Amino acid sequence: MLSAVGGVEVGIVKVGTISGRGFTPEEIADQALDQIISIGNNSHPVIQAQAEAFRTEIGCVLLAYLKQAVASHNTTLTNRFRDAGHPELVKLLEV
Amino acid sequence: MAITIATAMPTSFKVELLKGLHNFTAGSTRFKMALFTAVASGSGTYGAATTNYSQMGADELASATGYSRPGEFLTSVTPTADGTTAILDFANETWGSASFTTCGGLIYDTGDSNSACAVLSFGGDQTVSSGDFQIQFPGAAAATAIIRIA
Repeated sequence: MLSAVGGVEVGIVKVGTISGRGFTPEEIADQALDQIISIGNNSHPVIQAQAEAFRTEIGCVLLAYLKQAVASHNTTLTNRFRDAGHPELVKLLEV
Repeated sequence: MAITIATAMPTSFKVELLKGLHNFTAGSTRFKMALFTAVASGSGTYGAATTNYSQMGADELASATGYSRPGEFLTSVTPTADGTTAILDFANETWGSASFTTCGGLIYDTGDSNSACAVLSFGGDQTVSSGDFQIQFPGAAAATAIIRIA
């Protein structure tokens, strides 16, 4: 007899809501890290430590580039505001 | 009345998988996610017996600030294997500059007559006000991925 035992399952999504603003680079970096690396509780302690170190390192790289992307996009918006004759709006981009 | 919603994979979807009706290969813009309205604002029951987007009807979140019916296209990642489990992932989906309340979502396939692929409960009402509302899909691994075949 040939048989196959398995299961088809659906995972659990997280819902992130931020009111009054958008997500910060730090928050988005955390979300990305959850996608990139997950560390099982049953892993060997040495492997866990290595994974945690890798996660921290990747987190720093992600955050740096996300901040760079925000700054670069603000530069683009600054030029658009000035080109449209609204240089006063540039101040809204200053944090 | 109120919406009753349980995270589930529709039984019809499992049958459709065996019929080869869904293709999640990256680049195929056919899978959408629609949001349900607030729990108290609806009346239907959704879960494993849900078969199609059309069943949402008035229980779908109305087009309002930051949300437009019939939901947004999801970016799928080509299915792969983690060990002996086949897994599927989607990129996180964000509704920006949004103001609404929702209690769940439905992933459906516009390439297969809007058939339901997954019913997602948010565990109650989730409210966003002049901000971002984001669905964060779980990591693409055998124990966590949004759709898994073990």
